[in-house]
Amino acid sequence: METDPAAEVGAALAGRKQNRVGRRRLIQSSAALGAAVLACPRYAFSQSEKASPLAGKSIHMQILGVAGWLPSKLGVDMSPEFAKYAKDKYGYDVSFSFADAPFGTLFQKAATSLATRSQEYNIIISDSQWLGALATPKWIVQINDIIAKNPELNIKWWSPSIHSSYQVFPDGTNKLWGFPQVGDVYGIFIRKDILEGPGEADAFKAKYGRPLPTTWEAFEAMDYEDWTDFITFFNRPEKGYYGLAAQYSREYDAASCPTMSVMRSLGGDVWDPKTGQVQGILDTPSNAHAMELYKAWLKFQPPGATNYFIAEVIDAFTQGKVFAAWQWVATGATMIPASLKDKVIVVPPPSFKRADGSRVRNYIIGGQPWVINAFNDPEHMQVAIDFMKWWYLPETSHEYLMRGGMPCDYATCSRPDFDGINPWNRTYKYMLLRSSDFWHDPKYSEMLSDQQDAFTGYYTGQIKDPLHALQWVACQQQKILYDEGTAVKAPTGACAGIRL
Amino acid sequence: MAGSAEAAASTSSRRTLARGPRRGLLAFLGRREVLPTVLIAPVLIFFIIWNTIPTLWLLGLSFYRFSLTSGRPPIYSGFYNFTSILNDSSTWFDLSRTFIFVVLAVGIETIAGVLLGLLFWGSERLPGRRVALTLLFAPMVVTPVAAGTFWRLIYDPTFGVLNWFIRSLGLPAVRFLSDANVAFGAVLAVDVWMWTPFMVLMMLAALASVPKAELEAAEIDRLTWFQRFRLVILYHGKFILMLGILLRTIDAFKTMDLIFDMTFGGPGTATQLIAISLFRSAFESFNMGSSSALAVVLLLISIAFTATFLYVLYLRERRTADA
Repeated sequence: METDPAAEVGAALAGRKQNRVGRRRLIQSSAALGAAVLACPRYAFSQSEKASPLAGKSIHMQILGVAGWLPSKLGVDMSPEFAKYAKDKYGYDVSFSFADAPFGTLFQKAATSLATRSQEYNIIISDSQWLGALATPKWIVQINDIIAKNPELNIKWWSPSIHSSYQVFPDGTNKLWGFPQVGDVYGIFIRKDILEGPGEADAFKAKYGRPLPTTWEAFEAMDYEDWTDFITFFNRPEKGYYGLAAQYSREYDAASCPTMSVMRSLGGDVWDPKTGQVQGILDTPSNAHAMELYKAWLKFQPPGATNYFIAEVIDAFTQGKVFAAWQWVATGATMIPASLKDKVIVVPPPSFKRADGSRVRNYIIGGQPWVINAFNDPEHMQVAIDFMKWWYLPETSHEYLMRGGMPCDYATCSRPDFDGINPWNRTYKYMLLRSSDFWHDPKYSEMLSDQQDAFTGYYTGQIKDPLHALQWVACQQQKILYDEGTAVKAPTGACAGIRL
Repeated sequence: MAGSAEAAASTSSRRTLARGPRRGLLAFLGRREVLPTVLIAPVLIFFIIWNTIPTLWLLGLSFYRFSLTSGRPPIYSGFYNFTSILNDSSTWFDLSRTFIFVVLAVGIETIAGVLLGLLFWGSERLPGRRVALTLLFAPMVVTPVAAGTFWRLIYDPTFGVLNWFIRSLGLPAVRFLSDANVAFGAVLAVDVWMWTPFMVLMMLAALASVPKAELEAAEIDRLTWFQRFRLVILYHGKFILMLGILLRTIDAFKTMDLIFDMTFGGPGTATQLIAISLFRSAFESFNMGSSSALAVVLLLISIAFTATFLYVLYLRERRTADA
């Protein structure tokens, strides 16, 4: 029969009150009281242990992310909030440090560490195309089981492309590897103060015979030709600013992402992920035409724009050197500093007219998922999972959104106030439904490297014929994929004589 | 007496035993062939661990097909990587671009280094000489990545200070790093800016090795300035100067960091030197097998450079000895 220590203490105290307490009874009661006092915290601690095996421990986590990239930085800036949450909910102390590298070298930093089976970086903010390269050697954790055990991580996303771009490898399977950290799409940032300047609307109407677009809806209705007129109108080097800044650089995927966006919007593609076929898909007249269209916009851009990547576009726009900028919307907080507050409108990039007359936007998606290091010890693995659960809490998502982040979950994106929180939010949601990823293949970086050579070769005038550039890339990529066993067919004989 | 002699012998023997090992170790170390080996051993061990073993590893890996991200073990492929590299036209384009870069960079740096070295040598009493020398050597001590960043900004057509001057003269902005016809020269100019001071240093060292008496004799003999340079200065200083040229040649051949930061090999492939290709193959594509093979090829080229320089350097001595 169990005795209730509290009842015994109560009875002892009552007996004392009545002055009928024997010495033996007193000793028994004191012992019971002592046991009860000792048992309470022990009981509480054992309960905490049941809640989390890490309770009472101190754990340090390191996140590897993109240098100078606000969404990555927000993940780190907000980590102290997780430390408080973890202490309250799980009873352990956690601290974070942050390692970073620019987009172009982040994969090297991650891969060289993971190849040594190190848990130096417990959580990594990976670019979406790296999933294959990180998952194939089993450097990162497949998260299907984690989601099955933690149903709160089974989240409804704003668009299907979030799932397919940030989580799945190989394409079309149900093997999941990443948790969306930031969604990202292309948008065009426009200087509203110049756009709405006195006399602009009349002058535009006089020149083109149609109203000057000033609203989000008007820009949403514009195709490439409309945009060309629009940028031509606002290209004013004599006044110290050009019409546009966009990305054409050799660095990382700068020239590839916008070019492939134009290709796909025109109805082309870059490969067939099922057969690994590139030749005949990438090197088409339609894709060559896409390159010509994108190159044609160079004439509205500052000299040296062929070296522009994300940072250069930000510099050109924020320093007033361009009227508009084709840019990833995740840079919104940097593209619109305090000096440009309320002077910028962020709109969808152009649609492209296909042969059948339809106007289509089929852009490349940006953004990065969180991935978890497969070599984490059980303690770090548990903290990483707890961190993910915290990251997708409604209040965390909201805080992230308010700080300028780009959440991907349906619940946050469908908030009634979502569009008004940041100037780029409406475009973000709109374009998420019209954007998707390209390669997730482990050979992604090698394929990209060749493609960047050819694309920038054409944009800088080294190669005159875009179709020739595409034929060379197609041969190179077909060879890479065939050697790797991904492509069914070997490069054709025509590849033997083709030079860049 | 006998007892005392025995005792003395015993004491002596104990001393010998006590001193024996120490004296033995010292004696061992004192041997002419041992001490240098012992002194050089730490460096040798360091060299073997950090240089020889990785080089052998690299050599072994060059015969395998191995991609770090494929998740597959290395597969022995014989000379496939080497034939693949040598059959790839882009390797030859990159190599020829690199050779042009090396010849131009080292050539300009050597000529400028010799001229500036002579200028500083002949102006020992010039006021501000030390300050001028310090300023001259400053680019050499700047990290190439930092130098690349500075120059990328200086060259920028929109924000760069150089184009500001060009525009202020009423000329159009020059796209130094984004025009395929200009970028190579722009990158080369930065390399010359960085490494000419090194050749000045080598030239000053070469000049310091020239005996004053011979120069005075040449002056008495009324040799022309060029004859003095060729017959006296170059005769004594050529080894140091050649060493400088050799070091610069090898260094220029593996130029990577400067270009990585300025153009990353672009625009297109205009500034893509072979070291950039190697970097991209190894750390972008993670093709460790073919990267190792390319590294082996580059190592052989560097060895060939060194051998050629040494051959040229000692050519006259050999001819004299043969005669």
